[in-house]
Amino acid sequence: MSIVRPRLNPKPSQVDQEARDQAPKAVQDHATFQGRWLPWLLLLPTLLILGVFSYYPAIKTLRLSVFRSNIIVGNEQFVGFENFLTLLSSPIYHQVILQTLVFVGLVVVLGLLFSIGLAWLASKPIPGAKLYRLLLIYPYALSPAIAGTLWLFLFNPEIGAVNSFLGALFGIKPRWLDQPFLAFALVVTATVWKGLGYNIVFYLAAIQNIPLEVMEAAEIDGATPWQRFWKVVLPLLSPMTFFLIFTNIVAALFDSFGLVNILTRGGPVYGEAGITTFLVYQLYEDGFRNFKTGAAATQAVLMLALVVCLIVLQFRYGNRRVHYGA
Amino acid sequence: MKKYWIALPLALSFVASAQNMTVEFWHTFGDAKRGDWIQARADDYNKAHPGMTVVAVYKGISNETLQATVLAARQGKAPALVQVDGTSSQLALDSGIFQPVSGIKDVDFRDYIKPVVSYYTIGGKVNSLPFNSSSPVLYFNKDLMTKAGLDPKKPPTTFDAILKTCATFDAAKLGMKCIALTPFSWLFEQWMSEQNAQLLNNGNGRQARATASNVDSDAGRKIFGFYKDLNDKGYLTNTGKLADTVGTNAIFGNQKALMTINSTAGLGNLLDAAKQNGFKLGVGVLPIPDGSERNGVVIGGASLWVAKSAPKPEAETALDFALFMTNTENMASWHKLTGYYPVRTSSVNLLRKQGWFSSNPLQIVAFNQLLKTKPNIANAGALTGANIEMRTIIEQNIQKVLSGQGVSEVAKTTNEQINAALLEYNKNFK
Repeated sequence: MSIVRPRLNPKPSQVDQEARDQAPKAVQDHATFQGRWLPWLLLLPTLLILGVFSYYPAIKTLRLSVFRSNIIVGNEQFVGFENFLTLLSSPIYHQVILQTLVFVGLVVVLGLLFSIGLAWLASKPIPGAKLYRLLLIYPYALSPAIAGTLWLFLFNPEIGAVNSFLGALFGIKPRWLDQPFLAFALVVTATVWKGLGYNIVFYLAAIQNIPLEVMEAAEIDGATPWQRFWKVVLPLLSPMTFFLIFTNIVAALFDSFGLVNILTRGGPVYGEAGITTFLVYQLYEDGFRNFKTGAAATQAVLMLALVVCLIVLQFRYGNRRVHYGA
Repeated sequence: MKKYWIALPLALSFVASAQNMTVEFWHTFGDAKRGDWIQARADDYNKAHPGMTVVAVYKGISNETLQATVLAARQGKAPALVQVDGTSSQLALDSGIFQPVSGIKDVDFRDYIKPVVSYYTIGGKVNSLPFNSSSPVLYFNKDLMTKAGLDPKKPPTTFDAILKTCATFDAAKLGMKCIALTPFSWLFEQWMSEQNAQLLNNGNGRQARATASNVDSDAGRKIFGFYKDLNDKGYLTNTGKLADTVGTNAIFGNQKALMTINSTAGLGNLLDAAKQNGFKLGVGVLPIPDGSERNGVVIGGASLWVAKSAPKPEAETALDFALFMTNTENMASWHKLTGYYPVRTSSVNLLRKQGWFSSNPLQIVAFNQLLKTKPNIANAGALTGANIEMRTIIEQNIQKVLSGQGVSEVAKTTNEQINAALLEYNKNFK
């Protein structure tokens, strides 16, 4: 997550100035490191941890993706690109990819819209603001398993609180977990809700860092609150939005697993596969339930490629639209 | 005399090494009730055998435990004793890290209930020691039965009888569904067995690796058809999540359904729910498809496997502890606590002598169902390493029937998908 750092400082120009002032000094300071090896030595602990827990498994995964392997049986048969071909020509996998893209799109757009709105409201100096903020942030503190169980009980079609309420008021009892589109919407909503806390914390911080002068100037110029939000606040929040879009995409791609596993187990079936079976859940099913370790490694490689593409896109096109200046 | 001087240090060192013997037992029960029971048995054993320590460790759900065991075994650190789910028997065999318990020392298996031992006998060898075993039964709400004008003493025993019961119940308009039933492959497998139909070819995968499924058959279609009938007539409810028996139990426990079908291991919890919600619980035999004689249930649950890498004394201790944990008294207490079968005839006799069945008449239903099962290939259960995937396939296809697809079309698709999964698994051995 260290790839994109949001800049909270209200006056980046000042910082840049300081940085420029310090630049020549930094060159002189170079002598602080005696010899070429000291920096590497200091980096060693980080590199070791990355190597053992990230790079080595990643290389193993890359290798495993061209084998047929079952981790329990312990076999490894070289199959070349067969795993990739099977996956990429499988209608099930096509559907899973499509579902994942729709899911990620919805989660990111809805999640950011809601959290920016809620953060804006929660940043207002009203009585009890601190309590509101606490309540808004708290879903993030729940583990996905607990959140999933909570939603499962709430949306049990016969005895869940939601249907008891809907049944008593309108005489309807929607089948939340086996009507494909309802189930999809439910998982999207639950994921958005689960991520709200994280997004709100960041947006609150960013909103509090917006310089008052700018807001006052806008007010004096006669901008309505609505205009102030859209024309002043939103552009000033764009570095934060840029950062959050990226982290939210990654969260929706990978962290959605826990919730899906408890709430729907990837179901209900729609077309070729369960409609809430997303890439990471499919990977889990194949790798850890069905023990198709080779095929799961292949999926991991494809997901890695997807994330790499996203990062490249973000850096290439994202930066242009981000407004850092005040 | 001289010889003693040589023998003494040897004997001492032997005692010393025996005193250090630690045997790890990895199990899959994370809940307090069952986990604590296992821990208590390990404590009992350790107290009775100074110098030996059985360490019981909860290692996550069955799949996680098996995977952890295999990975540990590859590093030469396998636990001596492991609980493996029946579904994963073939995988455990194919992993090659276990040894048949019958090869460690002579165990008298005559005391074990036959269908249970037969489930774990593969290629003529008893591979593992039966531990927690269960089968499905019909649970019903006696009060609701009476209210709807049905006789709670005569619960339905066939699919047709269920439909008839439901018709009567529906007509009484009590504002709830007739049966809480989730798409659950375990029940599908039971119903194949009850019709004496093998789920997989090659003797249910017991003579050679299974290569084809038998789901696209009369027997299979009857089961899909049952789900369809119940659903079309509006008798059926569940949470919508696959294999969500926790959900159907909750629906039944909250009196939102007249009946449910679930494992005998759920009896304890359902009795609690019935008490809490103020209704009388009834238990009946597993209702079966019409037109076939009861061929008996497939035993479900898990068994205890001994690692191949365990040195002889440790393997013996592991087995000794497993036998202690499943001895007559312990199995009786395990049964009382959980509703799992006491897998020994002597335990059943003990329970009978204690008057357990006359004071708890609900328990006897499940028993008779198991005792009446005459072991054959169909009720020995299907063996394949693709079992877990097969279960998902069956459950997804039941869901397709519930969402309106035709039975024969779904049976065909199910068969094709299972065959593909079997083919894929078997490729691991070419």
